Amino acid sequence: MGVAVVAAGQTRFGDHPTSGVKELFGAAVDDLLADAGTAVDLDRIDAAFVGSLSCGQGMQLGNFAPALLDDAGLPPVSALHVENACASGGFAVQQAVQAVASGQYRCVLAAGVEKMRDVSGDKGRYWLGISGDTEYERLAGLTFAGVFALIASRLLHDGAVTREDLARVSVKNHRHAALNPKAHLRRRLTVEDVLAAPVVAAPLGAFDCCPTSDGAACVLVTDSSIAAEFTDRPVEVAGWGSASDSLALHSRADFTRLDAARRAADAAYAMAGVGPDGLDVVEVHDCFTVAELVAYAELGLSSIAEAGARLRAGEFDLGGRLPVNTSGGLKAKGHPIGATGVGQIAELFGQLRGDIAQPERQVPGAEVGLAYNMGGSGASAVVTILRRAAD
Amino acid sequence: MGAHVSVPMYRRTLAARVGLEGRRCDRCSAVSFPPRGACGQCRGRSLTPVRLSGVGTLQAWTYITAAGAPPEFAAQVRRDGGYHVGLVALQEGPRVAGQLVDVSDPEIGQPVRAVVRRLYEEEGVVRYGFKFAPHMGEQLPAEGV
Ligand SMILES: [Zn+2]
Repeated sequence: MGVAVVAAGQTRFGDHPTSGVKELFGAAVDDLLADAGTAVDLDRIDAAFVGSLSCGQGMQLGNFAPALLDDAGLPPVSALHVENACASGGFAVQQAVQAVASGQYRCVLAAGVEKMRDVSGDKGRYWLGISGDTEYERLAGLTFAGVFALIASRLLHDGAVTREDLARVSVKNHRHAALNPKAHLRRRLTVEDVLAAPVVAAPLGAFDCCPTSDGAACVLVTDSSIAAEFTDRPVEVAGWGSASDSLALHSRADFTRLDAARRAADAAYAMAGVGPDGLDVVEVHDCFTVAELVAYAELGLSSIAEAGARLRAGEFDLGGRLPVNTSGGLKAKGHPIGATGVGQIAELFGQLRGDIAQPERQVPGAEVGLAYNMGGSGASAVVTILRRAAD
Repeated sequence: MGAHVSVPMYRRTLAARVGLEGRRCDRCSAVSFPPRGACGQCRGRSLTPVRLSGVGTLQAWTYITAAGAPPEFAAQVRRDGGYHVGLVALQEGPRVAGQLVDVSDPEIGQPVRAVVRRLYEEEGVVRYGFKFAPHMGEQLPAEGV
């Protein structure tokens, strides 16, 4: 049974001082309805899955998903909060897709939301660490910046990547975000800017790290047989996969790899019947610059040894062979944890329909897109492949 | 599970943190550290406690500043400006992350040995645990670290 994405919406990622989680969720729903037009009636949803780490304080933790649906005036259907750290949103989408594929439901809302900017710096670092290995990695003094710095340290030592390669990920994603009105950080950077930024966890500096953002995103997933009732241009969910791994880097066979991502991608490629060569546009989880370089390897876009050269040659830029993170990625579009994975699907939905409002940001003629969303330092990973439905 | 390691949680792990107690798999003999519920190699659940030497090799390192430190370590960063953390391959096989002490320019590949130090203080309780110092080949005390 085919599954389609028929509508998508998202807030701007960044500071929303006057909005809590309910207002953010409601704004993403409003954006979906405004974008979709009159054919979409959300009274038709059979269920909803909402991804969130619930990282703010003083917000609804128990019965999170029913509270959001109720506030937004959505029907009182089955509603479930999905949590897999920074991959909560991607897993919420996958739950919606599987619920439709199973035949139980025909129309399901997948959403993600996070309210992070209310949280003070110390509390933020407290919360950001909760998805890592709390007992040992954290008590060694590591947050995720430190964990990814260890990966970067080894890759630099082995000569697999250079410090400038790391910086170029940030430069590229900031360049893309500058074109995206929904992005949190729209400032263009140079390699020199990235190298000169204050150290967070050597070798990573401030401009190697994604920001904390407020934001929400949602997509409407239906059985393909009824997709035409919602839109004349549905996007097919061609394949999906997910996997998990040890939380702590030190427990993994090769600590420079993100093996769950590779296994999730392999499953998604097999289901979709396409490989890396068949992709036209990709959104990857670049919480830190080094994570995007490793992602190229796990998704089969490039070996790690060639990743730097390909990046330098502009292969992953807008206008390049395979644009990666046309939204600006986590690095510059922003990372409202639970919303991130859903926002990736919203970006691909726009790209594959040719709907991106900024012509210089639209990948011309894109037919197949892949989204990869990771939890923590790779203990959970989810990959989704979308394909523009045949005319 | 929150990030906060409560005093009872901390006390349950003292054998590992201060005594470097790992677990040897009864099926494949692989050693796991920090202790896990199942063997890291074969996932066997029958494990026997084993004391590790604490000697190993540095495989990766980072230097953490205020922006990258968990709040428990804020006092240490205020005092020292930051701290090194290394990923160490212990000679018995397992790998573990730990702060580096008595080192200003860590080098991947350098030998290190575990030493017990104060990690941080929370709820009025000092938390001790292993860190790693350069290993010059000196004789280690028979009782371990
Ligand atoms: Zn075993």
